[in-house]
Amino acid sequence: MSPLALIGPPSATFTPSEVSYLSILPMLIVAGAALIGVLVEAFAPRAARFTAQFAVAMLGLLAAFAVIAMRAPAMIGVTLSGAVVVDGPALVFQGMVLLMGAAGLALMAERFGGRGPDAFTPSGSSVPGSQAEGLAERLGTTTEVFPLTMFALLGMMLFPASGDLLTMFVALEVLSMPLYVLTALARRRRLLSQEAALKYFLLGSFSSAFFLFGAALLYGYAGSLNLGEIGRAVGTVSGRGGLLAAGALLLFVGLLFKVGAVPFHSWTPDVYQGAPTPVTGFMAACTKVAAFGALLRLVYVGLAGSRWDWELVLWIVAGLTMVVGSVLSVSQTDIKRLLAYSSVAHAGFILVGLLAIDRAGIAAVTFYLASYGFATIAAFGIVLLVRARGSEATHISQWAGLGRRAPVLAAGMGLLLMGFAGIPLTSGFTAKFAVFAAAVAHAGAAGVVLTVIGVLSSAVTAYVYFRIVVLMFFSEPGGAPVDVLRPSAGGATAIGVGLLTTVVLGVFPAPLLALAASASQFLW
Amino acid sequence: MAVVVSSPYLPILIFFACGIAFAALSVLGLGVVGPKKYNSAKFVAYECGIQPSPRADQGGRVPVKFYTVAMLFIIFDIESVFLFPFAVAFDSLGLFALVEMVLFVLTVFVAYVYVWRRGGLDWD
Amino acid sequence: MSLVPTLSALSSLPAEAGVGGNPVADFSDTPLWLAAVKAVAIFVYLMLQVVLVIWFERRVIGRMQQRPGPNRFGPWGIGQTLADGFKLMWKETFVPKGADTFTFLLAPIIAGAVAFVGFAIIPVGGTVNLFGHMTPLQITDAPVAVLVVLAAAGVGAYGFVLAGWSSGSTYPLLGGLRSTAQVVSYEIAMGLSLVAVFLYAGSMSTSSIVAAQRDLWFVIPAFFSFAVYVICMVGETNRLPFDLAEGEGELVGGYHTEYSGMRFAMFFLGEYVNMFTVSALATTMFLGGPAAPPGIAAIGGGVLDQGWWGLLWFTIKMWVFMWFFVWLRGSLPRTRYDQFMRFGWKFLIPATLVWVLAVAFIRGAQLSYLGENTLLATVIVVLVVAVGALVAAWNWDERRARATESEPVPDEIDPFAGGFPVPPLPGQQLREPDGGVTAGGSGSGALASSASSTPTSIPALGTTKEAHRGGSDA
Repeated sequence: MSPLALIGPPSATFTPSEVSYLSILPMLIVAGAALIGVLVEAFAPRAARFTAQFAVAMLGLLAAFAVIAMRAPAMIGVTLSGAVVVDGPALVFQGMVLLMGAAGLALMAERFGGRGPDAFTPSGSSVPGSQAEGLAERLGTTTEVFPLTMFALLGMMLFPASGDLLTMFVALEVLSMPLYVLTALARRRRLLSQEAALKYFLLGSFSSAFFLFGAALLYGYAGSLNLGEIGRAVGTVSGRGGLLAAGALLLFVGLLFKVGAVPFHSWTPDVYQGAPTPVTGFMAACTKVAAFGALLRLVYVGLAGSRWDWELVLWIVAGLTMVVGSVLSVSQTDIKRLLAYSSVAHAGFILVGLLAIDRAGIAAVTFYLASYGFATIAAFGIVLLVRARGSEATHISQWAGLGRRAPVLAAGMGLLLMGFAGIPLTSGFTAKFAVFAAAVAHAGAAGVVLTVIGVLSSAVTAYVYFRIVVLMFFSEPGGAPVDVLRPSAGGATAIGVGLLTTVVLGVFPAPLLALAASASQFLW
Repeated sequence: MAVVVSSPYLPILIFFACGIAFAALSVLGLGVVGPKKYNSAKFVAYECGIQPSPRADQGGRVPVKFYTVAMLFIIFDIESVFLFPFAVAFDSLGLFALVEMVLFVLTVFVAYVYVWRRGGLDWD
Repeated sequence: MSLVPTLSALSSLPAEAGVGGNPVADFSDTPLWLAAVKAVAIFVYLMLQVVLVIWFERRVIGRMQQRPGPNRFGPWGIGQTLADGFKLMWKETFVPKGADTFTFLLAPIIAGAVAFVGFAIIPVGGTVNLFGHMTPLQITDAPVAVLVVLAAAGVGAYGFVLAGWSSGSTYPLLGGLRSTAQVVSYEIAMGLSLVAVFLYAGSMSTSSIVAAQRDLWFVIPAFFSFAVYVICMVGETNRLPFDLAEGEGELVGGYHTEYSGMRFAMFFLGEYVNMFTVSALATTMFLGGPAAPPGIAAIGGGVLDQGWWGLLWFTIKMWVFMWFFVWLRGSLPRTRYDQFMRFGWKFLIPATLVWVLAVAFIRGAQLSYLGENTLLATVIVVLVVAVGALVAAWNWDERRARATESEPVPDEIDPFAGGFPVPPLPGQQLREPDGGVTAGGSGSGALASSASSTPTSIPALGTTKEAHRGGSDA
């Protein structure tokens, strides 16, 4: 027989998956802006790099947001063979990530009149103050932060919109890798920054591995990685419950690590302290939004039917997160670590809302993330401005008497702290009320218990925040003098937006609550 | 009828076993044939008058360039791993796959251009 | 071969492609014991050729260098390799003090054993009657057969790096690292160059690739891939002019500095077996494997193009490559390491990527993906891609030329400009340092000027470096 007789016409039929380009247009824009940023870094002359990078990144973010703002209803749909699900919650989370990303980007671009972005080192490996450092500084090579941030934002946009666990994993990696690098780039306290980056990288890799393992177990259970399929299998497949429970818990490990929930929170204070302050703000807001978006989709679409298997664990995690985050923040003496523990506590509050397993819970979580995200970026922006001997004055004692030296800035910080504490007429109060109300209404006795723990924890954190306010306004300044720098227009806008949302969402929460409620229906 | 080879990879294993048997015999077995004359200088690492450099297995470092090459290798190896099945199935995939692959290669090319321009491919 | 049949064969390629990737070689009549017999036979075939090629190499290089080469042992010195082998066998083998014994012994085993693996999927002949069974002269074939060769080459790199690392010595460590960097760098271009073959053949199975070349050897439609592959196979096997991992002038023996006796012989053997493997792959991929050359294939209705005859054609084609290896070694000096890596990363990889895309477009045009008038579309696409590639290549060449001429040797040199004394190049004048002490003798004056100019020259270091970087980067 001639070997050629075996050769027939192509037998396999291949049908390309349907792509709704409008649905993924915001992500495509951000990806394109990131790639252009890389090319700018490669080809633009040094003098023009900063301006070009900032313009490309900012325009990309605003264009992507404009698409969402104008065409949101038309974008809703399942696309790319179910790998990407663009629905109400996904769009709201993408919009939040984009706006917070823009605010974070504005802070990263803060230069205080220098040549390069101020918070980032031009050369991480050189000794501070050395000749090599001076050379690198003159060359000004820190504009890579912009494309890195854009890549992270791409992952963050995909994370809450991923329709299957594999896409979710890819998004998780895409958002994590740039953050590891960004963490290591602090100009001052460089070793701390690099140590933080290494810790973040190692722990993050572990958590990614847990996530992947969990995805494999769920695939073994349901025979599919698609969240909708898993959700359907939960009711029908029997006899493999062990795979389901173990897989779900391992997935939670991966996602709870990203939101910084106890007992996977140990990286948070170190990384928040070590990372350049604008990156900390960006990370605290955007990572939390994206990770909670993914967690919501995983819980509500994929695993809601098996809630009895894992609910208790998440209740305990939520309770522990609130208690540990608030109690440990009492003893902090570094403002960045304090905000880190505060973010842990906030993660616990948000988890309480998530555990309502109801559309009210989705709306509450969305509202909480919006109010917390903008405020935390502004808070870290203010930390960036308070300086002592050229470096950020992060020790709390250095903030004593700041109210006299810089009353506007101190008042702004005070307002943000009030918001974090949940004082009425600030966004924090409405947000906490929303999550606790959802939990009490839909999570039964556990919801009530968690709410009690939450209120008590809020009281503890309120003490911490008030202590700082008192320190700023009612103490004598002591020790070395502290400078307060004037932010540029971009930085001032980012801080201003945070202050504004704290007030506006506290006084007129209804529009955003209505939007969150109307966009709380998952597709699958 | 004798047993027909079921897996196409089994003969590779047999062939590999031939190679391992030969190499192991040569390395481990034939070692006993040669003479054994003790001389302490023989066991010292060959240094030829240069400063002994730190050794990797004792916490020393090797030039960072090698790590760069390792990372770049991973990137491009993965690119070719995607290109292989694409090439094999090209006839049945149609224009869609061609466009997708062009986009994919261009994306990797952006990273490549960046690495080139920033000196990642220079060996001094 | 005239142009017209070539073009018609080119346009007839699609009809033969699309085999779905499965091998066309028929192993249904091959019992396991026969596969084992074939494995042992191929092993012996390879070993005999290794023995032969080492003698061949020394004789040929001898002739190229106007000397006889080994001519004492046996007729024409043909037993020389055997004698060398026995000498190595009776040498003392030992493990140096700083070595990691287990890895030190494992490395040569890896290098020696893995080198063979790739040959398992090479079709060395047609289908023959062996002990009453009709079986192809090929140990085995698989839908992803070529990946086996690439995988074996990848694992083979472990032999080098582990040998260098475990020796506990500086030169081997550097040699092992270099060798690994070299092998992985050229493996990328090698893998990419094969993509064009897969595109034409529609399969990664070696027998299908050979079958797809029945009308036209791929060396013609995939000529650029062939050139890249030939360059890469030299780099991949650490042979001259790319044997930087063993460069005697810089690294003594490279990764095998600390090895002796049969342990050293394993690396030596591995290198030669690797040469045969990559040559065999080149034969299979580009030269039609065991198919008879075009003129001979037509004789007697193809009687010389089947069965055992394939073994002859295959062996001849493979030895053409072996002779090429030897010729290179006899003709070319060793490249510099930075030149070698630059060539691999900055020319071979991008050029091969462009080429792969070009072939994909040509193939797409043949299959009417790009419109109905396929021939016109093909020509246009080929022209566009070729011009683009040429412009890119010129640009690259120009840049390189500028880089080499950008630093003319100045007539005068300030020996302390960089903060530390630098000797002048031939023909350069030493510039007298400004403000140096000139009153004393010449010796003390130089000493004083070095002391006085060092502090002031530190900022100068920064500016020169900046100017240099700016020039290369802006």
